[in-house]
Amino acid sequence: MLEMHNVTKIYRTGLVETRALRDFTLTVDSGEFVTITGPSGSGKTTFLNVAGLLDGFEQGTYKLDGVDVSRLTDRQMSRIRNEKIGFIFQSFNLIPDLDVADNVDVPLRYRGLSAKDRKERIERALGLVGLTSRARHLPSQLSGGQQQRVAIARVLAGDPKLILADEPTGNLDSGMAREIMELLEQINEAGTSIIMVTHNPEHAARAHRQLHIADGRMVDMERIAPMPLNRVIAHPSAARA
Amino acid sequence: MLLYNLRLAWKSVLRHPALSGLIVAGIALGVAVSTSFVTIWHVLAADPVPGKSGRLFFVRVDAWGAPEPYDEAGNPPPQLTYQDMRRLLGASDIPVRQTASFPSIAYVRPQERGQAGRRPFQATLRMTTADFFPMFEAPFRYGSGWDRTADAKPEAVAVIGSDLNDRLFGGKDSVGSTLRLNDRDFKIVGVLEDWRPKVRYYDLLGNAYQEPEEIFLPLEHFRAMGLEPTGSRNSWRVEPWGLMETLDSSEMIWLQMWVELESASDVRAYHAFLDDYARDQKKLGRFPKPLNNRLSAVGELMEEWQVVPRQAKALAAISALFLVIAALNLIGLFLGKFLARSSVVGVRRALGASRGAIFAQHLVECEVVALIGGVLGLLVSMGVLALVNRMYQPAGVEEAFFQLDASMMLAALGFALLAGGIAGVYPSWRICAIAPAHHLKNQ
Repeated sequence: MLEMHNVTKIYRTGLVETRALRDFTLTVDSGEFVTITGPSGSGKTTFLNVAGLLDGFEQGTYKLDGVDVSRLTDRQMSRIRNEKIGFIFQSFNLIPDLDVADNVDVPLRYRGLSAKDRKERIERALGLVGLTSRARHLPSQLSGGQQQRVAIARVLAGDPKLILADEPTGNLDSGMAREIMELLEQINEAGTSIIMVTHNPEHAARAHRQLHIADGRMVDMERIAPMPLNRVIAHPSAARA
Repeated sequence: MLLYNLRLAWKSVLRHPALSGLIVAGIALGVAVSTSFVTIWHVLAADPVPGKSGRLFFVRVDAWGAPEPYDEAGNPPPQLTYQDMRRLLGASDIPVRQTASFPSIAYVRPQERGQAGRRPFQATLRMTTADFFPMFEAPFRYGSGWDRTADAKPEAVAVIGSDLNDRLFGGKDSVGSTLRLNDRDFKIVGVLEDWRPKVRYYDLLGNAYQEPEEIFLPLEHFRAMGLEPTGSRNSWRVEPWGLMETLDSSEMIWLQMWVELESASDVRAYHAFLDDYARDQKKLGRFPKPLNNRLSAVGELMEEWQVVPRQAKALAAISALFLVIAALNLIGLFLGKFLARSSVVGVRRALGASRGAIFAQHLVECEVVALIGGVLGLLVSMGVLALVNRMYQPAGVEEAFFQLDASMMLAALGFALLAGGIAGVYPSWRICAIAPAHHLKNQ
């Protein structure tokens, strides 16, 4: 699914160069759930940005779903982000002007789907996260956990192959965080690859594989057994199959 | 996607009403000023007889006998003497139509039953020839103009305007009725429609924005009726003020002549005809100056005689510049508004929006705000024009002179879109070029 080899990312501020990623190499298979931990400033978010085609890199190669992304145009990268990648952020990143349904609709708009198709996807995604009744609520009218579920519904509606989650439980209390983790595990169980950055060792331990980044490099890699799932929800792709 | 962007734009307008209001006001001001002045210029400079103005030519021959030229620019006199008009009118078959005319006044003495108690009143006259009506496309409500034979005798026939017809005959078909002017009776052969060209293009001397005269008579009646021209008259030599005494040899210039020519070759041929005429006159001791005859189309004459004041053109240009400056001033407001939502744009980029999509979204927002400003500006400019009409309505014009027609309304909205584009391109480009990764973590 994701193949990075010796990727180097450098931030330049005036005369100062900061190597956020150094010869970073990582392969993530389809359907894999990988967690990444590391201290602040170690390069976790930079890795997610590069992996999500939100930021470029100076050296190395990066193939996403078999496509070398280093020479793609902005439009091509946008298309890949839209169709193959789903983002979940610590601060939810919902658009405050738009209600829940319209937030879920955003990636679908850029895909050029028909109104009917979009409506079906939105309803299905909100149903999967249990927020059908909140479709016309604004984000400000929802709790943190509900907002994160909307963000997950936004991802589900797009039916991506890879989810990049940046501390998705970081702003939630433990109960909400557990719900979100279960939701992510269920999505992964349905076949979607997930790479999740987290500071929470307990959450990190629930992945197929835990990675640790320090100073822009992978310093530890360990395969662990997948965690048992409490329950399984249908993934949109499975529902259509 | 356009509808989606329009919806987002509307939401944004509603979310920031004060800021949006400020931008709308800025564009409305620019549109109002530019639309008002461009409309003034547009009305003044509009082709008064579209499709035909290029075929109507004003005839000038240089009969000015003084050693000095007629004016400092070396132009020939703007009008003809009676003797030149008589010799030129109808002497060439190159023009498809030709006419001469001058303005005058006479007293109308109501004669019809029911009008007997009315007092005589003064009415404006245009003494002219049969070709005048088809040449200048005067529209008829009843009847028609007279024919060329009526010019020669001249027959006692008249064409009257719709206002006079309303006044004397209650708007009914008065063709065949009698019109008593001074002490003579004329048979009405035609009643004009409500004919109010913005520019009285058949007589661009003096006030070109007056309405057409109320009565039209065959030109040669002026002799028997003793009618004097109310327009300008001039002579290079001392002559009696009364025209009639020395009419056939007078050098007084007071008549205007137009010809209708169908092609460029006809124009050249008729110009040669005028030059030949001038050479013949030189042999008779007249036309002492080098050949200086002119055939000027309506537009050329309007330009030469500055029928459209230069100030109007300059003001239109300055007002367009004002719109551009107003738009440039709005760049900062749009930029601030857009950059404040960088994190939302970062989210949209992460969710698959290309730079182009973000650019289009924000440009649409600029244009939506600009269109609102344009509509508001249009309303303001209507108010401005009403004020201008009240202050500077040309004499003799009753209806609002400066009005926004459909083309100017479209132009106003075009100005608004242009302003929106000028103000919006840079901020839209800036916001679409932000690094999404930088803003996602900071939302």
